[in-house]
Amino acid sequence: MFLVENVRKVYRIRERGSWFSRQWKEVEAVSGLSFAMRPGSIVGLLGVNGAGKTTTIKMCCTLLEPTSGSITVDGYDAVRCDRQVKALVNMIAGGERMLYWRLTGRENLQYFGSLYGLSGSRLAERVDTLLDLVELREAADTPVERYSKGMKQRLQIARGLINDPKYLFLDEPTLGLDAPIARQLRRQVKQLAAEQGKAILLTSHYIHEVEELCDEVYIIDKGRLVAHDTPERLTRSFCRETTLRVTIPVLPDALQRDLRQLAERHRGTWDVAETDQQAWELTLRSEADLTAPLLSLLAAHQSPVLRLVTEQPSLEDVILQMAERRSA
Amino acid sequence: MNEWMSLLWAEIKKEHRHSFHSSLVYFSLLIWPVVMFVTAYYSFAPFRMGADSPLARFVAPGQLPLFLLTGYLGYIFFWCLVQSAWQMSFERQAGTMEMIFISPVNRLAFVYGRSLSALVEGVWLFFCFTLLAMAFVGGIHVSGWWAVPLAFLILLVSAVVWGGFLSVLFLFSRDAGFLYTVLDEPMLIFSGVRLPPLAFPFWAKLISLCFPLTYALHMVRALLMEGAELGDLWQELGLLAGVLVLLVTASVFLLKRAERHMKRTGSMVLY
Repeated sequence: MFLVENVRKVYRIRERGSWFSRQWKEVEAVSGLSFAMRPGSIVGLLGVNGAGKTTTIKMCCTLLEPTSGSITVDGYDAVRCDRQVKALVNMIAGGERMLYWRLTGRENLQYFGSLYGLSGSRLAERVDTLLDLVELREAADTPVERYSKGMKQRLQIARGLINDPKYLFLDEPTLGLDAPIARQLRRQVKQLAAEQGKAILLTSHYIHEVEELCDEVYIIDKGRLVAHDTPERLTRSFCRETTLRVTIPVLPDALQRDLRQLAERHRGTWDVAETDQQAWELTLRSEADLTAPLLSLLAAHQSPVLRLVTEQPSLEDVILQMAERRSA
Repeated sequence: MNEWMSLLWAEIKKEHRHSFHSSLVYFSLLIWPVVMFVTAYYSFAPFRMGADSPLARFVAPGQLPLFLLTGYLGYIFFWCLVQSAWQMSFERQAGTMEMIFISPVNRLAFVYGRSLSALVEGVWLFFCFTLLAMAFVGGIHVSGWWAVPLAFLILLVSAVVWGGFLSVLFLFSRDAGFLYTVLDEPMLIFSGVRLPPLAFPFWAKLISLCFPLTYALHMVRALLMEGAELGDLWQELGLLAGVLVLLVTASVFLLKRAERHMKRTGSMVLY
């Protein structure tokens, strides 16, 4: 069990001053954060830029020390028993850093494996298994500098798994990847949790990724936990509005009047915009499902429907709403 | 011990592939010190070098080439380590330092493994050149076959300890590059690479005591040029051992401080 309890991280930053004066500013990156990770589960950590996601991950991986609070991993305190904790965790970050580009994929894995005390046939077997897992066996002996972005990212995954960690931290793992490669990586992440029982914490700016992968989501803002639930329940509790988009060829005044009344009656909003195809796109937002009354209204006005789309709120809307509240 | 050995081997392999990937690198590692040696030798040429010259009080005129060869050999041992420590900034930039410190690897093994690999890769070619040049120049006076490997061992151990200490200093800050300037040229001047420290004024002698290269060179020259017996060197060996123990102790202490500092400030990712 991975337990983060009331963790706080304050950075002391030196502000630019003169040669002889030093001024320090304290910045609280994480404030009283608590969460837990269980084997086989994927936990999402969401928040806008600067919310404290990466700082949290680095504290969990023992790269940073919390200012206060505790992180306990299978009974070991992450500060006092960091060597034991390091053997249980690993981190995979997005991007092309954290690898030796002149070394081949195999040499990279061999080197990082040796940092975890692996050697000889045990190391060779582990490296081969991971190269197969991330489908890099054929490129194993090619220098990393000749890898594509997707291949480097897959090698990162293999590196992150070299010590067979029980707890894995993924910081934007699909950053800048093409859709098919990102999908392949998501599949591998799912497998790691489902088949190997790893507890995974994921941060990502691609919200659909979090919705697809995570069993539960923690949303943080300015280092504080603001929400925690399953992606579905979070979406329902924060954004109840359903959006209806209807395209019609003509929009007489009478229909406009009735649409306004329909929206007002259900405490919703409506909007209209002319499309490129000389048609009108109506957008109705309301907590109630207005599909049936809208279709009845259009039928009464003998208005043909060219297109009808219902958009359910997503986790992205939750984050956007929070960002709007933050800036307000 | 097994962990240390496997890590040392891994570091050597990594450094070899990463930093010594081309034969041109080895070529430069031979040519550059040879040019330095030749330049130093011919710098003395315009001066009076006879038996009554000021330098003759400290180095026999006929032994000047040998004196410079041993000086530059020792300097290259230590210079490689300053370079290797300086290269620590690469690990910071590439993000690989985070991946090393996220692992439970023995930090001291990492630091010394890195130093040893950089040293072996960096000096072997010039070492071979020096041995050949010594044989060609002549004047080697040893009391037994063991003097050459012992001289090599003295240089190797003291340079690795020095390199480990520097690598730890470079862990503290991305701005530690200034140490390169502070340590490299003064080491060349004050450690007795080109001039014997005995010829220095008092203040310069004090500075020379700060560099382990001074003690190592003194012993190497005693072994290879003066035919010193092991018994003659106990005092110097003890002194060098004392300095090295001090450096190792400081490295262990500073390594813990450096990691703690990085964990508190998050400076590991700053570059």
